[in-house]
Amino acid sequence: MPIQKDPEGIETLHLHKHADITSQRVLEVGCGDGRLTWRYAGIVARAIGIDPDMDALCNALRCCPSSLREIISFVRADSLHLPFSKESFDRTILAWSL
Amino acid sequence: MVHALEEIHRTLIPEGLLLDLRPLANRWPVEVVTGRKTHRLGRLTDLPKGLADDMAANTAIVESEQSGWFVKEMEDIFYIYLYWDTPEELLVQMTERWNDFVKLEDETFELIQAAWKNDSGRKRLRIKMKMLLTRLRKRE
Repeated sequence: MPIQKDPEGIETLHLHKHADITSQRVLEVGCGDGRLTWRYAGIVARAIGIDPDMDALCNALRCCPSSLREIISFVRADSLHLPFSKESFDRTILAWSL
Repeated sequence: MVHALEEIHRTLIPEGLLLDLRPLANRWPVEVVTGRKTHRLGRLTDLPKGLADDMAANTAIVESEQSGWFVKEMEDIFYIYLYWDTPEELLVQMTERWNDFVKLEDETFELIQAAWKNDSGRKRLRIKMKMLLTRLRKRE
């Protein structure tokens, strides 16, 4: 296995500690292969992950758990031009991307 | 970076939350974990680009507050671990992915290799990464 990022889930723990994302519409900027997305998406109303890296998004799509497929979407986009209308999200996560 | 924050501001509802989650350069320690034992073998060297990126991100956050888009509500510092199964995998990460941001010095890698040979049983390499989580709330 090449790399395992935060298998203890400390990052997600802190995310939940400081922001209620339950039943929220979440935009994740810089979702990459969905590593972080899987960890919180089970409790949100909707999650959209964006990333400019097509290979990473293909991995995310391939690895998306079937139970989350109706909740999560992945979109190729960069943060300078978000392809969403005004006030579409309750929460935005900058995932290692600022 | 500031333009990205402006876009995020546009797409958030009033009072919506922006959660900025990112690593911070901090000469991340490199450790070998064998069973319950952890051996710290050295630290990565922060490179100028990594330090400049951190500063640019911090500046962008300040500018987003000064522009009246967001109010910073809290910051939290914590640590996560990144694991590799072999020294060679760690080296690949350093040279192919992180070569602009951090450096694994030769002498540290030699220490890792020596420790790897000496320790028997299941072992893994890890980096202790400093993380920053900032919560910002959208202003009207």
